[in-house]
Amino acid sequence: MDRDLLRQCLTYHGESLFNTLQCEQTENPDFQAVASDLAKATYERGGTGEGSPLVEQFIARKADILFCPTWKTAIPREEELADEEAAEPYAIMPPAEAFMEVPFEERRAMLYRDLERGDAVVGRINNVREYGFFLTLLCAAGGLKRDMEDLELSALCHIKEIPSTGSHDDPLSYYQIGDLIRAGVKDLDRYQEKITVSLLPSSLCPRLAHIKLGVIAREELPKHYSRGLRVADDTRETYERLLRSCHGYHNPLVVEYLLGRVGVSDERPPSLMRGLQSKHFHEEDFASVIRKKQSASWALKCVRSGVDHFKHGRHVEAMNEYNKALEIDPRNVEALVARGALYANKGGMMKAISDFELGLETCPDHRNAKKYLCQTLVERGKQLQEQEKFVTAEGLYRRALSLDGSYPEAQAALRRITDTIQKSIRLREEAVAKETEKAKSGQTSAEKLRKILKEEKRMKRKRKRSSSSSSSSPSEHPSLSPTSTASSRRRSKKRRRKRGGSDRGSQRHRRRSSRDDGTSRRKRRAGEEEEEEEEYPAPPNTSATFLYRPGFLGSGSGRGEGGGGEDDDDEEEEVVVDDRRICQLYSLSAASEDEGSDHRGGDSSRSNREGRKGKKDREERSFSSDGTGGRRSRRESRRESSSDRSACGAERERGKARRRSNEGRRRRKASTSSLESQRSRKSNVAAERPQACRRSSSVSQGQQPPPPPSSRRTSLDGGRSQSRPGRGPEQRVEGAGGGDGHRAQAASTSNGQGGAARPPPPPAAGGGAGKKELPPNLMDIFNKIAQFEKEKGVGPRK
Amino acid sequence: MEGPSSGAPAARDGPSLLAAGGGSGAETDITREMKTHFRVCRFIMESGVKLGMRSVPVATACELYHRFFECVSLRVYEPYLVAMSCVYLAGKVEEQHLRTRDIINVSHRYFNSASAPLECDREFWELRDSVVQCELLILRQLDFHVSFRHPHKYLLHYLLSVKALVNRHAWTRTPVAETAWALLRDCYHGPMCIHHAPQHIAIATLYLALNSYGVEMPVGEREWWQVLCEDVTKEDINAVISDLLQLYDMEAKCI
Repeated sequence: MDRDLLRQCLTYHGESLFNTLQCEQTENPDFQAVASDLAKATYERGGTGEGSPLVEQFIARKADILFCPTWKTAIPREEELADEEAAEPYAIMPPAEAFMEVPFEERRAMLYRDLERGDAVVGRINNVREYGFFLTLLCAAGGLKRDMEDLELSALCHIKEIPSTGSHDDPLSYYQIGDLIRAGVKDLDRYQEKITVSLLPSSLCPRLAHIKLGVIAREELPKHYSRGLRVADDTRETYERLLRSCHGYHNPLVVEYLLGRVGVSDERPPSLMRGLQSKHFHEEDFASVIRKKQSASWALKCVRSGVDHFKHGRHVEAMNEYNKALEIDPRNVEALVARGALYANKGGMMKAISDFELGLETCPDHRNAKKYLCQTLVERGKQLQEQEKFVTAEGLYRRALSLDGSYPEAQAALRRITDTIQKSIRLREEAVAKETEKAKSGQTSAEKLRKILKEEKRMKRKRKRSSSSSSSSPSEHPSLSPTSTASSRRRSKKRRRKRGGSDRGSQRHRRRSSRDDGTSRRKRRAGEEEEEEEEYPAPPNTSATFLYRPGFLGSGSGRGEGGGGEDDDDEEEEVVVDDRRICQLYSLSAASEDEGSDHRGGDSSRSNREGRKGKKDREERSFSSDGTGGRRSRRESRRESSSDRSACGAERERGKARRRSNEGRRRRKASTSSLESQRSRKSNVAAERPQACRRSSSVSQGQQPPPPPSSRRTSLDGGRSQSRPGRGPEQRVEGAGGGDGHRAQAASTSNGQGGAARPPPPPAAGGGAGKKELPPNLMDIFNKIAQFEKEKGVGPRK
Repeated sequence: MEGPSSGAPAARDGPSLLAAGGGSGAETDITREMKTHFRVCRFIMESGVKLGMRSVPVATACELYHRFFECVSLRVYEPYLVAMSCVYLAGKVEEQHLRTRDIINVSHRYFNSASAPLECDREFWELRDSVVQCELLILRQLDFHVSFRHPHKYLLHYLLSVKALVNRHAWTRTPVAETAWALLRDCYHGPMCIHHAPQHIAIATLYLALNSYGVEMPVGEREWWQVLCEDVTKEDINAVISDLLQLYDMEAKCI
């Protein structure tokens, strides 16, 4: 108990309170400790008026709260904000004694008692002498709010206390009688009633340091003073009327502001009720805590049902549940881990990693989160490694090891990658020299070839136009002319758009290849050949392109890297977006397929990692092994089913194609580089969907039944077609997609052949496997069709 | 309009609490009702603290509650449900929006201490519906007069004015502000806010706080409280104080 406070109270209330206190606080050891001390003094009623026994009883009963040292929580915010005067966040009232009419003597005594060194005062100069000037004090400007104008207080400001301006000898010449001066109280002699003030800023106490001293204008007088003047002028003006007229009073936040000013906490509000003492409030009863707990349990419920969905292969529903869980509780570890696992299953390694990391951040000891993160990091690292992003991959391995130092796979991978990095540095150095000399000759020959080809294509396109219209089925014939031309025009437009994309892609390649120019000679040559054939100028030295192919192979996730060298995921993201758009530009069925076959994608990616078995799996692998494989095969199947027309055209072209086959093959082979870029762009499509789509389509190519959840598929279809109202009937769309596909297909076949031709075939050469699956004559037809389509595709550009 | 109360936790727990407080049959209806109101207001204040409500919204919630039961009988409406809706409505009136979910959670825990939070099931949504329905009932019962003038603003301005009259060191030593604020918050346990002017309540709480610590005020022609409010008399102040002290007595009897 605060003894001084209690004594002050007892002095005020007298003996009776002490007696009551002794009755009421007998149980309180704190009071007993101070009671004997307090009992020595005699208390006479010092307070005014008769004391109320009820009040005394109240004080006595609540004494343990009232005089408890912890009761005094307020730390008044004393520093007056500089803008408080101007903004007036609360009603600044004149000093109350202006209304109270306290006797002159008492007020004067009170002022001398309460005024302190360091306070700011405002006064008017009444006399200027050679040693300084005298002020009649008007009011206080900070620290104390008192009415002092009529107290006849005089204060001296010595010449030493006036800051000199330098140019003039006599600083006093600035000041004239009648000037309003704001000054700091320098010294105070309470007995002789002498006040000295200063104009030096150092005279103010630190919290008033912002106040400027010196001459002030009338408008700068403190508000409480000018308001006090108004009260003095108008006797009808009362405190309450003035209070309401102040606009600070109407500030909607005035209570919060003043509470801060007074220093009372509104979060842990004081109360004299015993039941409302803050010690009775338990942290776990607070709304925020309960809500957190509740959210966690609700989220967990969602996660549970999500896991259930996941186990039954309903991945979309599972994802929805996880997302719902995270909406309820954004940092729910279980949900994050479960979603991360789902992402990882779908090949969205980056998303998976970020989920796991976030989960670990919230709960650093989560076993599964740690385990999965390690696995995913290594997996992602391998992907990156295959894309030659060694540095990033290495970082991932290191991160994995930092989580689990004994994770053998990560250790092995790290060892391998350090070797590879060193090797590649060596290779790069070797390759640089060869690169440069090769460049020129390659360029020129490529250009020549291109010119010839273009000539040829133009001719062929004309022929093809007529042939395709004649070859289309008889039922189409009557209405043919308008629709087919329209569709072909649209098709060409689409193709052009895609072309633009691939162009971009190849640019990216160029950028990267210039960086990555250190690779084996063999690879470089292959890349070069590929370059040569594409229609656009591609740099001859994209040696690295070949290297990326394995990237599409091992992971099974097909999350290839479109562009951007080692540097970043940002660019990758950008590409991903790009890809998604392109993907949307493709057919409706492509979109629906990828949604529909989600779970299958997940499975296969896993099996891919483990090494696949069975024919279907092999097939999948072969296609996924080179990025666009899936897409290509889808297109193949589509071509089979949809277009007799183009097949006929292809038949007609066959002879020609055969004639050109020699150079064509070379050309085709070379075209893979630009296709590569195109492919990588496609394959880059954000983790889960396109990849799954590819896989599923490859399945359908093998005459598999369509993916089971067809109802979902249709609904998704609906949404998609709604979003693109301009879309034509499915067939046209497919045709458009096909155009692209043929090119891709050409590439893939040539790829396979090229793979065979090259001394050491790239690991699990994708095209080769694909070829094995198809009858050779069909393959041939495809080749030709592809060739043809490609030429046709080139046409519109000229 | 009986419907809303059916699903509330208060419907389960309220009556038992009422019965516990009822005690002997000698008690008159009036005092029993007063005790019930005291308990419900205690519930509002506790919930207010747990919900992080500021003082003014809590005061509004209590005043809504008291005004509501000025017009209707306690027997007809479940007081705890009304209290929950008052808290919700007060949050809206005073621009400190609260979520029904939080209100329900806190209330649920108030009645079933140390229980697990509610599941997101039908019961929860029924509770929520009843709170919202009851809010509409309160609004209609009060004719949509739901914004009040509270003593808080006055008290804080008075505190500043009084502080300027006192020596600053004496002031910082004495917890007048805390005490006055605590008294003001506590006075909402009863319907004082309806029967007294806000200025009077503000002055009375400040008076009692100063008195409790024996702070001497300068005396002039007029007392400081006469200056702060023109129409307040010593009797007014004493009336408020005695009402307030009665509430503190009530606490001992009720809880």
